Amino acid sequence: MSPYFAASPDSLVDDGLAGFALAHADLVHLIPDPGYVTAAAPSPGRVVALVSGGGAGHEPLHAGFVGAGMLDAACPGRIFASPHNRQIYEASRAVAGSGGVLHVVKNYTGDKINFGIAAERLQHDGIRCARVLVDDDLATDSADIAVGRRGTGATVVVEKLLGAAADQGLDLDALVALGERVAAGSRSLAVATAAHTSPATGSPAFALPAGQLEYGVGIHGERSGSTRPLTDPASLVADMADSLVIALGLIPGDRVITVVNGLGGTTPLELYGVHHHLAAALADHGVTAQRHLVDSVVTALDMRGFSLTLTRTDDDLTALWDAPARTAAWKA
Amino acid sequence: MTHTATTWLRTFAAAVLAAEPDLTALDQATGDGDFGANMAGALRLVQSDLDSLPPGAADGEVIAVAARVFLDKVGGTSGPLFGLLFQELAAAAGDGLTSDALATGAAKGLAAIQRVGEAEVGDKTLVDALSPAVDALRGCPDDLASAFAAAASAAESGAESTAGIRARRGRASYVGDHAVGVSDPGAVAVGLLFRAGA
Repeated sequence: MSPYFAASPDSLVDDGLAGFALAHADLVHLIPDPGYVTAAAPSPGRVVALVSGGGAGHEPLHAGFVGAGMLDAACPGRIFASPHNRQIYEASRAVAGSGGVLHVVKNYTGDKINFGIAAERLQHDGIRCARVLVDDDLATDSADIAVGRRGTGATVVVEKLLGAAADQGLDLDALVALGERVAAGSRSLAVATAAHTSPATGSPAFALPAGQLEYGVGIHGERSGSTRPLTDPASLVADMADSLVIALGLIPGDRVITVVNGLGGTTPLELYGVHHHLAAALADHGVTAQRHLVDSVVTALDMRGFSLTLTRTDDDLTALWDAPARTAAWKA
Repeated sequence: MTHTATTWLRTFAAAVLAAEPDLTALDQATGDGDFGANMAGALRLVQSDLDSLPPGAADGEVIAVAARVFLDKVGGTSGPLFGLLFQELAAAAGDGLTSDALATGAAKGLAAIQRVGEAEVGDKTLVDALSPAVDALRGCPDDLASAFAAAASAAESGAESTAGIRARRGRASYVGDHAVGVSDPGAVAVGLLFRAGA
């Protein structure tokens, strides 16, 4: 028996989306067929619309970030499954600006193909379309992994900074360049002490004995290459921060935006504790945490874990982070 | 002119419906087994949409019917990739499907599929059949039936070659050596597509 309060995995998505749209009717419109959400009051200054999407189960991503200052539309798929190209195509057509549409895509094969098919259709219709690929997950940074790093927590950072830049009227090429710079300057790492519960089976997606930590877990329950004993949180967070600092090549004096992200089954109290340890670890490296987000924004259903994201920043990027945004889930 | 494209698509539909068990068996060995059913379901919809098309519709409009069905109504990724091929064939055909239009549309369709799927020849995907077909169509004879026949032979050889390949793209890439000896069902369907016009 599934412990979820839902009649089926599909109704988990459909009922949740319907309720989300009702609760935030001032912010979003839900178009149930083919299934996408648009901003009720999009930013007036934009010439390029921002559209994202991906499997459900990561809420509040992506629909929670639809609204002025962030996304113009979001396309949720089924649980952990890419949206259909028709959802992306029709959502993009509905919101496209005079300067076209920019897709923010997490690096997964299904998402890339479905967004790619939608992009071909848009270009066929004469609508300019480009893509920014988010591939921040350090755990999948390996020469053996031909498809590249997965896209995870940095997605929210990319969506926020691109949203603010789009509000300033930047064109498609400038937004692509900015998005690629932010994605390239972002790395994340996730850990879990318990897997998410599969809505289909009601069982944990993988078994993890008490006291063990999945180090480098994915946001769909992908196991990592490393299961290790759970250590005290200060040294765990310091280990993770060390890896991220090295991966980004940060040196004393560099500035970052930090995201401490809950994976769905982690308490706010713990996330703030992690933030506390992260601040200390970055201070040890001489790196300035200039802005931060502590929240569960890119979840994996009810996974008991958290991720850390560091994004290299400067005055321009920090100003974009500080720009106003009005969406259901943006709280920084 | 309607006759050309509708006859082609109806012949293709009949061929896929007849081959559905074989396509399913191939996909069960290499993927999740839904390819045959997805293709058959799409082509049943194409058949009924063709029935409601006004008589005298141009070849491009006829092929666009298949493009819409494959892009909008088919799950998975292989079906919508066929939709991209039909979208380019429809644009190239316009008022009449000629051998030149077939060559242009197939080449643009291949380019779109490769942009999206990032597959090259040798990755055990439908590109292994479509790419040699595009080559065969380049500088093909003037008459459409001969062009279709040349493309079909090239696509069928390409599809056969996929049996010897270990997949690097698509779902078959997850099963490794288990898929060696089995042709890629998408490549087989590309062979059926061109053979239907020959």
